[in-house]
Amino acid sequence: MVIGIAGAVVASIIVLIVLFKLMWRVAEPNEALIISGSKHGEGLGFRTVTGRGTLVLPGIQVVRRLSLDLNEAELDVECVTKQGIPVHVKGVVIFKVGDDPVSIANAARRFLDQQKAMGQRVHNVFAGHLRSIVGGLTVEDMIRDRERMTGETRAASGSEMEKLGLIIDSLQIQEILDPTGYIENLAAPHAAAVHRDARIAAAEADRAATEAEQEAAARKAEATRNSGIQQAGYQAELDTAAARAQQAGPLAQAASRQEVVVQETKVAELEAHHREQQLQADVRKPADARAYETRTKAVADRDARISAAEALARETELKTAAEANRVKVAATAEAEATRARGLASAEATRATGEAEAAAAEARGLAQAEAARALGLAEAEAIKARAAALAENQEAVVAQQLAENWPQIVKAGAEAFGNVEHMVLLNGADGMADMFAKALTMGGTGLGLARQLLATMGADGAKAEPSATGKPPVPQVIPVQQEQARS
Amino acid sequence: MVGATGRVTGRVGAGLVGEVMVHVPQRQGTEAFLAYPAVPGETLEPGSQVVVVEYQPPRTVYVAPL
Repeated sequence: MVIGIAGAVVASIIVLIVLFKLMWRVAEPNEALIISGSKHGEGLGFRTVTGRGTLVLPGIQVVRRLSLDLNEAELDVECVTKQGIPVHVKGVVIFKVGDDPVSIANAARRFLDQQKAMGQRVHNVFAGHLRSIVGGLTVEDMIRDRERMTGETRAASGSEMEKLGLIIDSLQIQEILDPTGYIENLAAPHAAAVHRDARIAAAEADRAATEAEQEAAARKAEATRNSGIQQAGYQAELDTAAARAQQAGPLAQAASRQEVVVQETKVAELEAHHREQQLQADVRKPADARAYETRTKAVADRDARISAAEALARETELKTAAEANRVKVAATAEAEATRARGLASAEATRATGEAEAAAAEARGLAQAEAARALGLAEAEAIKARAAALAENQEAVVAQQLAENWPQIVKAGAEAFGNVEHMVLLNGADGMADMFAKALTMGGTGLGLARQLLATMGADGAKAEPSATGKPPVPQVIPVQQEQARS
Repeated sequence: MVGATGRVTGRVGAGLVGEVMVHVPQRQGTEAFLAYPAVPGETLEPGSQVVVVEYQPPRTVYVAPL
């Protein structure tokens, strides 16, 4: 009974598991479950499930699987280029169903039962676009700008692939075949140039290699020569060293002797130096000290004398200043005294002068009066004489001569007045003769006077004013006034 | 989709249908989308970074340079 119950439970569990297994569908990662046969909320008429499990009611709903794997479509298209050249384009398109629900739904509607024919459909789509695009290109464009052809193809077919719910993962133009040999001929000049360049490069490389080899050989010979020279040099050094080793004994002796001589020379130099230093200390330094002392003393004496002279000069200067001051004071006093004396003297002189002036004035007045009287008398006399001359000139002249005879003789004697020492060679006769001549001169003067009077008588009264003998009155210059003015 | 960043794999420009690769978090993968320039006349060279400014399901996006 218990076993029966347990068996029933197990059987029911197994049945449940089997039923669940029959109803539960799980989508693989690379597929989508298309479930149709029941209502759903997406408005598509079916339900898509990716990456998870879902319950499916057997007999009511139908589950179909749409592969999301990559698919490949080989492109092999006969095209004609813009230049009319037939070409054979080979390529490959890698595509898959889109992962979004819309793409899955689009693809499911179009390819669910024809998943194997998906590649052929895609090929047809791409072949049409590729022919159209190649028809607008030249062979050169296709070769040089393959990316452009790929891009244009992808762009042209993109919308259509979207409608199909497909994604192009890759589009490759693999090969452009040229049955007419156009591409080969196109490449021939370039290939020839490349071949030429390759040959040139090979020749150049061969030449460079030969040069390098020859240079290497030359350097090798040079290195060999240098090595030989260096080896010879080293050998010479070895020989020299050996010879020196052989002569080491005599050389050492000579060197020792040389050292001895050098040391002796140094000793002699040191002794000479020492002697010189000693002489310096004994002779030159004391002499220098004495000279310095003498020079210092002389300088000190000179400075002392200069100071004494300067003091004396200063003293003299002060004395002179004092003396000058004293003289100045004395002169001032003397001047003051002199001035006082002068004032007094001037006063006295002025009084005296005034007195003298009064006296002189009185005297002058008296003299003037006397002179006036005298003049009047003389005028009368002259008038009388003139009257007499008019009557008897000879008698008047004789009388005048007689009256003035002593003055005439005196005047004749004056001719000898200035003679200091006279020698008469004719004795007493000579003397008498000379006096007679002198007196004759007076007589001659008498004749001359007569002649003159005769002339005067002819002129009349013209000679009268001059007969008065009055000299012209001199003009008095007021000297004192001029001096006072200056 | 809007605001997602991606990379241009086919030239995007006037008169062309370009292609961009954009990461789609909901499907945990990077997918190719047909792309048009968001600014008319703009050209985006392959390799440049872009941002999706508009999404038209299922596979079309309008992109602008990042």
